[in-house]
Order: sequence, then C-alpha cells, then structure tokens
Amino acid sequence: MSKKVLIADDEELVRNYVRRALAGRGWEVTEAANGTQALELAGSCGLDALVCDLKMPDMRGEEVIKRVRQACPAMKIIAITGSVSDIRAPLAPGVQADGFLIKPFGIDEIRDLLEKLTKT
Amino acid sequence: MTSKANILVVDDEPQIADMISSALQLYGYAVQTAMDGEQGVAKVGANKYDLAIMDIQMPGMDGITALGEMKKVDPEIEVIIATGHGTMGTAIESLRKGAFDYLHKPFEIKELLKVVERALEKRKFNDITRAIFSTVKPEEQLRVIIDSVTRILKAEESLLVLPGRDGKLYIAVSDGLEDPGAAASRLEMCSRLMGAPVETAKSAVLSENPAGDKRFAGVSGLGDLKSSLFLPLREDNKPVGLIVISRLEDETYFTEDDMQRARIFASLVSLALRNSSLYRQLQETQGQLIQAEKMSALGQLAGGLAHEINNPLSGILGLTQLVMENTDKAGQNYADLKDIEKAVFRCKKIIVSLLSFSRQEKTHLEPVNLNEAVEETLTLCARQMELQHIKINRQLAPGLPMVNADFQQLMQVFLNLFTNARDAMPDGGELTISTALDGNGGRPAVVAEVSDTGGGISPEIAGRLFDPFFTTKAVGKGTGLGLSVCLGIINRHNGGIKVSNRPGGGSAFTINLPAL
Repeated sequence: MSKKVLIADDEELVRNYVRRALAGRGWEVTEAANGTQALELAGSCGLDALVCDLKMPDMRGEEVIKRVRQACPAMKIIAITGSVSDIRAPLAPGVQADGFLIKPFGIDEIRDLLEKLTKT
Repeated sequence: MTSKANILVVDDEPQIADMISSALQLYGYAVQTAMDGEQGVAKVGANKYDLAIMDIQMPGMDGITALGEMKKVDPEIEVIIATGHGTMGTAIESLRKGAFDYLHKPFEIKELLKVVERALEKRKFNDITRAIFSTVKPEEQLRVIIDSVTRILKAEESLLVLPGRDGKLYIAVSDGLEDPGAAASRLEMCSRLMGAPVETAKSAVLSENPAGDKRFAGVSGLGDLKSSLFLPLREDNKPVGLIVISRLEDETYFTEDDMQRARIFASLVSLALRNSSLYRQLQETQGQLIQAEKMSALGQLAGGLAHEINNPLSGILGLTQLVMENTDKAGQNYADLKDIEKAVFRCKKIIVSLLSFSRQEKTHLEPVNLNEAVEETLTLCARQMELQHIKINRQLAPGLPMVNADFQQLMQVFLNLFTNARDAMPDGGELTISTALDGNGGRPAVVAEVSDTGGGISPEIAGRLFDPFFTTKAVGKGTGLGLSVCLGIINRHNGGIKVSNRPGGGSAFTINLPAL
C-alpha cells in the first residue's frame, strides 16, 4: 500500500515538483495551498507525512505543525522554508519537526529525507 | 591709505572730542565723534567700530549706561572710559560692564595712544580667536593662526613645522616663505632644535642673527634671517613640533612683549592641533557609522530578496531534475539541463553568502589568541595555496596579548582575506601574514597584516573596497560581500580594518583589535 503525504505550500511551483518527485516514487500526494487547507487535510491523521512550508499567507507553518503534531503524534513532519532566518523555528518547543529543508532543495533531497523518516 | 582702526570718540565737550580725534588721526586712525551717549549708541548700531573712547559724565545717557548699550549692539567693540571725576567706584563699575580700561582726565596723548594700542591688540586677538574657532576644518585653523602670527609679530615669515609619518620634519603651514630653497634651511634649524632636549624644554627660543648662531653651525641659507623666534609645541609634555617666526628686514629684535604674544599663539596652535586630531577621529567614526548603516539597510534588503528568490529557484531546480530523469543522458538536452542545475547551485551559493551577510549574528566574545585564529585558518587553505604555487610566509609575533573576539568570526575574516590574496595571485606568489603588538598612542592593539604579491589596489577602487556587492572578480567568482562582511565583523569587535598598497607591489590588509 502506498504511503500518503500532504504538501502544504502557497507556492504552486514548489508543490508541483515536490508532488511529481514523490509520486514517481510511489507516494500518494495531496496538496494544500495555505495553512487552513493543510489543517483540514491533515487533521484526520490519515497521512504518513506532512511537508509544510513555514511562510504561508494565512498562518505560519509552525502553527500548522504544532496542531498536527498534537492531534497526530505518529505523523512525520518536514518543515521547508526559503528563509535561513527561520533556521531555529522547526525546533521550537511544541513544533519539533522531524526534518528541515531550506529552499532551493532538489528532488532527491526531499525523497531521501521522507523515505528515511518513514522507513519502518 | 587704509586706516589702522575705526574709533568712535564720545564726549559732550567738543574741544576735548576734537583734541582726541585729531591726535588719533595723526597716528593713522579713522575717527568719528558723537556728542552724547544716545548718539554714540546709535552710531555703533549704524557703523562698525573697533573701539570707542567715551566720557563718563554726559547729559542724558551717561557713559556707563551707554557702554552697556553699545556692548549689546556690538559685543565685539572695545570701550575705553574717560572721566574727569573718576572715583575708583565708577572705574570698577565701567570695567565690570565690559570696558577695556579707563583714563583719568586730564590724560596725556601718549597715555591715550598706549591704551588705544593695547585695546586694539586685544581686539585683534579676539578676532583671531574667533576666526580660529569659527572654522571646523583644522587645516584652515592652522592657516589662520600662522597668518596672524606674521601680522601680529610684525614678522615676514612664519612656519609651522611638524614631524611627518616617517618622523621627518616638514612645513605644515607657512606664511611669507617664498623661496622654496629656503625651506630646507629652516627645516634643518628645526631638526637641530628638536634634537636638543634643553632647547625644546623652553617655552620659546630666540635666535638673533641665526646665520651666526652656533646652534645652527654649518646650516647654509640662513643669511636672509635677521632674527628668528622658535616656539616648541608640546603634547603631554613631549615636543611635537615648532612654530618659527622670522624677521627678514626689520632690524629690531623680538621683545619680551613679542615673546609673550608668541606664547599665546603657541598655545592656540596646540589647541588647534588637538582639535584637528579630534576632528579626524570624528570623521572616521562618522564614516564607520555611515558604512554600518549602509550595511544594515542592504543586509535587510538582501535577506528579504533572498527569501523571495528561493521559492522560484526551488521550482527551477526541482523541475529541471524531474525533466532530467526522463531525458536521455547521452543527448544535448541532458547536458543543457545539467547546466541549468549547476546555475541554480551557483545562485544558491550566492544567496547563502547574502544571507550570512544580512544575518545580524550574535557575536560570542572570549579571550582569543589571534595567532591561533591565523594558524587554524591557514590549515584550512594551505592545500589550495600550494596548488596555486603560493608560498605562505608566517611572521607571527610570539607572546601577544589576547583579544576579546569571536574565534569563528575571526577565522571567517582571515579566510576571506586569504582567499582574496589567492585570487590576486593567479600565477602564484607569496602570502605574508604578520602579527604584532601596537602599543603606540592610545590603547594597545594587536595588529595582523595580510599581504600579497599580486597587482595591488588601484586608487579608484580603494574607496569602494568595503562596499557591499563591490567586486572586481569575474561573474560567478565572487559575490562582492566578503570584505563588507569582514568590515562588519571587525566593527563588532571594536577594531579597524584598512588596506594599503605595498611599496614593492601587492596589497596589504591590516586589522587591529584592542588588546586585553
């Protein structure tokens, strides 16, 4: 059975290539263009992983991650960002992302990281 | 003929007013008269006078009141009070109101002239002092002082002699020195005096007929000097220069009065020199502040920009790699895509250095041995230097005091300087790193110099070297941020960084950090 991942990013270009990179490796990918959508899609805990941008128009990615983390402790979460000043954000108390990638990142980087995190 | 000064005589008795004014006119002064206090004050308001001579008892406004009014209208005017009924009380009151002096009637013309001359001299000094401190530019101050010295001491030639950076004396400012050949003889006299501690310990040294003075034996070209007055300038009791005032034609030697005036000038020059160094410090600090401001504004801009660019760049990278996966690795398309991918990595590198530049990193200060920071950095790039045929020449002074610094950031600075040196010597050369303690002047500092044998730095680019984004390297080779990052780091360490060209070619970067 294929694993499920949600990619939450307001940048369509980024969602596009991440979706295709992961789909090519057998992932079932859904997309969210903002924080609210991300919470709706991830809140039921039916996913194996969440890839979440930190800077979205309606809410910060940290907030999304925090709530999902509380609701679904088993879900693996990767924070992504284009800003190095966010470097400590994924490690903040209550956020604790499992992985972190700074844009621009390549397709193998996201594939390898997700596979490593979800290997059982 | 221009008159020596403008004087206003205020007296209600016309005969006295006439007598005083004709006597003064005889001695070359321009004189006007007023009949009473009101008229006198009105005239001061309408014309510029150097001096007023005023009776104390007049109908209407008396002399004391008029004195106060005149000083309100023209604070610079000097007033001499004349009175036939002078008691000590009124005399003191007039002085307290700002009169220069007072004269008891009847007074002799000789007596009057003497007081007038003294009052005018005081004015001249006041004018000079005002002129000196009205300009903020230290060089202008010195010029005003030296020009005035010549005038006041009725001399023909005045010089300010200071030691240059190389320790050799030079003429900083001169007045009346027309023959350039004479400069050498004057400087030789000065170095004789500066070399004699006994002479520079005096407040003034007089030489009548310098050509025959045994202190200057063997110095040629002194024949035109009738007499010379030397005023040693001191700072913290150490001789730092000389003022030389010479008479060329006037046979009369300098009097004790002249010496006294000269000493006042010497103290003004010391003050101006001190101002000058403070002014320079102020300008330097201002420059640093402007630079820091520029960096911080650009840093913020760069940070925001980098973030905006990273999203589309991520898309370019990811999509390129996706297409590459479905492209024949042997074809031209694959090679082109590979080039796009490489270009993205290059952009990523530039952005990372942009971000490290914009980051207002917390500096973690601890006692650091500067030599260790140099050595560790050298370990990192020794191999690179070897590959490019660059010889590393270490001249690290042992036993240096520690500096309060962030070790990582210091390494970043050295790495930058070494990399620049390497890029300046594409065909090989020598990289010299020297460290030393600079205990001269002010707080002791540990100094490190990084020099290369490359092409040096042209004057046109020297001023922009530390500007963010300024680079002379080929596109893709440098971001133009290295030196501005160095400057930012060194500033945060309360140190300084400057660049110069080495006499034998190549450039030298000098860093100084306050010693612990």
